[in-house]
Amino acid sequence: MLLTINNLSKHYDRGKVKALDDVSLQLEAGKAYSILGESGSGKTTLARLIAGLESPDRGKIYLNDDLISSESYHLPAEKRSIGFVFQHYALFPHLNVTKNIEYGISNLSNKTAVVNEMLHLVDLEGYGNRYPHELSGGQQQRVALARALAPKPRLILLDEPFSNLDSSLRIDLRTEIFDILQQTGVCSVFITHNAEDAMAIADEVIMLKDGRLLQQASPETLYQNPATPYVAQLLDTLVEMPMALLEQFGYAPTSTNHYFLRSHHFTYNQPSDYSATASVTNTTFMGQYYHTEVTVGDQVVSIHCSEKPTENHLEVGWRESDLLIF
Amino acid sequence: MQNRFRQYFQKNRRDFNRWSASALIITLFIGTPPIFIFFKLFAGPGESWGAIAQYLLPKYVQNSLYIAIACSILTILFGVSSAWLSTRYEFPGRKPLEWLLILPLAIPSYITAYAYAGIFDYGGSLTLLLRWFSLSIDKIDVMNIHGLSLVLSVSLYPYVYVACRAFFQHQSQNLIEASQVLGKNETYGFFKLILPIARPAIVGGVILVIMEVLNDYGAAKYYGVNTFTTGIFKSWFGYKEPETAVYLAALLLIIIFSLILIEQGQRRRKRFVVDSKSGRQLERVRPSLGKRWLIFAGVALPVALGFLFPVAQLVYWAVLNYSGIDWVDLNRVVLQSLTIAAVAAGCGVLAALALLVAGHWNRLGWVGKVSKFGILGYAIPGAVIAVGVYMPGLYIDKWLIDVNRQLFSTEIGLFLTGTAIALIYAYVVRFLAVAYNPLSAGKQNVQQALLEASQSLGKGALHTLWKIELPLLRPALLGAFILVFIDVMKELPLTLILKPYDVQTLAIEAYQYASDERIIEAAWPSLMIVLTGVLPVIFLNRLIRRD
Repeated sequence: MLLTINNLSKHYDRGKVKALDDVSLQLEAGKAYSILGESGSGKTTLARLIAGLESPDRGKIYLNDDLISSESYHLPAEKRSIGFVFQHYALFPHLNVTKNIEYGISNLSNKTAVVNEMLHLVDLEGYGNRYPHELSGGQQQRVALARALAPKPRLILLDEPFSNLDSSLRIDLRTEIFDILQQTGVCSVFITHNAEDAMAIADEVIMLKDGRLLQQASPETLYQNPATPYVAQLLDTLVEMPMALLEQFGYAPTSTNHYFLRSHHFTYNQPSDYSATASVTNTTFMGQYYHTEVTVGDQVVSIHCSEKPTENHLEVGWRESDLLIF
Repeated sequence: MQNRFRQYFQKNRRDFNRWSASALIITLFIGTPPIFIFFKLFAGPGESWGAIAQYLLPKYVQNSLYIAIACSILTILFGVSSAWLSTRYEFPGRKPLEWLLILPLAIPSYITAYAYAGIFDYGGSLTLLLRWFSLSIDKIDVMNIHGLSLVLSVSLYPYVYVACRAFFQHQSQNLIEASQVLGKNETYGFFKLILPIARPAIVGGVILVIMEVLNDYGAAKYYGVNTFTTGIFKSWFGYKEPETAVYLAALLLIIIFSLILIEQGQRRRKRFVVDSKSGRQLERVRPSLGKRWLIFAGVALPVALGFLFPVAQLVYWAVLNYSGIDWVDLNRVVLQSLTIAAVAAGCGVLAALALLVAGHWNRLGWVGKVSKFGILGYAIPGAVIAVGVYMPGLYIDKWLIDVNRQLFSTEIGLFLTGTAIALIYAYVVRFLAVAYNPLSAGKQNVQQALLEASQSLGKGALHTLWKIELPLLRPALLGAFILVFIDVMKELPLTLILKPYDVQTLAIEAYQYASDERIIEAAWPSLMIVLTGVLPVIFLNRLIRRD
């Protein structure tokens, strides 16, 4: 294992705020991970603890089986060789691109070669003499990445790398950065609050909520077998299906668990496993679909329709395999 | 319980590094004088304390309180009005007036006080001027507590002006617009919205004014008003009772710390205010011609009172006394003054930088909190710090002399007290905050993230300091140096107590001439101090504009 975290906790305000609460996980070399969570979930704290910018209240962190953090030991950040790409890039404003990239390289003899290699890698050849303020946001992002990669770190952490970019640029850059990291083969950890980013770039997603680890799994597993309703609704709009509603559809629940369906899994006027007649109460155009509120019995359900419903009544249905049971 | 204690101990041992140690050592170094004074409080006062407490102390308290309150009201009046008018309106001479309003800070209050004494005296400038218009008045008596309050106010209002100006510029546009949309006129919006929300800024400025008022010795002494600070001097030099002086100093210290607590309470409230980034720059209004000149008069008045009139009086005296000047002596004093100020400013900036770096690389929360005490020196009156430096210095000197006598059987003189070492040390204690604040403001630009980026790239504190912080902090370092330099040039009470016998500064020279009723001869050294104060202010103003 490249990185092993055991029972990690970090408190603020004399223990009143549990930023991180008993988190254990393992990261393998060469894989891409993303830490997904809303603000206050502890994802940034986790990254800062791994980087050594903060020290834990409880728990241990091992890098290649060497202890780097515990209650009684702290290897300073500058000795961990863990790269960090900061949210606002944190490029040194008084140094040009070349100087920024070579800042962390300790081997003096092949400095120039490494810088050139990095500039090539991030596709910024010819930009070496530019200063950070002369670059676009995406270019700054790539310089920050090159700078973090230049010392050949064992692990690289990227804190909200796409949050400063508008959505068109974001997808391009996401693909680009993913490709760059694939080429270097370094283990990378993306910190993000955006579920789509988290799933697009990572081999495994680490879900945090209120400082606790909810699930660590591949994006597919996370989507198909979410550990909790919270995980599921973070990835998609979720509709809770109480007993009464299930019975309306002719489905007889076998247990007293909680049942959910994703809005887009509802079909209408099509053959399906279970169906019921619903009356349309409200329709909102959302671009790709019509967000439609329908009433089944006395329950309101949100479904996605590809066309604007013309009739007041729809035959709404769903497949049993889409049902999420917790 | 024991387990928790062990964990706490373990964590402290893990996170305590050499930077934590540095932070604590610097704080102790800076904090020794006030700590010493505080503990002296338990040692009991000197013989005359009984008499002083019974007859003089009530007067000290009463006078200091009166001056503090009067100055608060007047500086708010001058400072808030000039800040609002000069940020909100377009009027003739607005641009030069905006920075001229700061210039009274370049003149030490005691020198402004000397100048006003000269203006209103028998046969003073005012009577001479009125005689031209065939008017005659007797003297107007300003040499009393009311006159003192007025003089201190015109000299100290810039603290309030500066504090409010930044606030008005960045935070009031949205408020004014909201008020207008709700159908209220500007005056209503100003008094009902802007002024109440600006209160923390105003209080911050007023607290600085009160600290300067409590620090003042020269003006109160000259005007014959007994205050806490003149009381300290009277016990020290008059009754020759350092213990009593320390006792008074400790009482004053307690008052000051209460003020700081109030100010911090105020700061906490500031969090409710819209943050400065979201606020848009206040838009200027161009009123009718008549109003424009009225506003000009309103803004020019404090500049005239605080800067132009006193400087004119000084220049008049300087011209009168031109032939009587001992240039060789004045040159020597100027040189000594500049050297001491430069050395003190250099040491102050270094100490502030060390505190800043240690603060970032230290990882223990309580060490960070403790080291905040290091920058409280500016709140403590110069006389109090001087007493706090002199007395432990004397103990160390006596000990050194004893040790030397026993070990080497030779006699040595005083090593600390009565030398420039004690003086420079005291300046650093008093003005550390002056150097620290611009640096830490500069550091916010440097951003925590840049330092952490350097760290994550494998570089330690010293490499980061050299390659990242120093290059980026250069303008702030220069600014910090200049600010401490000006303050040291102006400083009087601390210098008076601690200066070595053979060292003379411009401030002391001016003070001594004034005390000897040779006020005219005080003009040249005074003007030199003003000049060294004005030039950097203009320079700094340019620097700020360029940014």
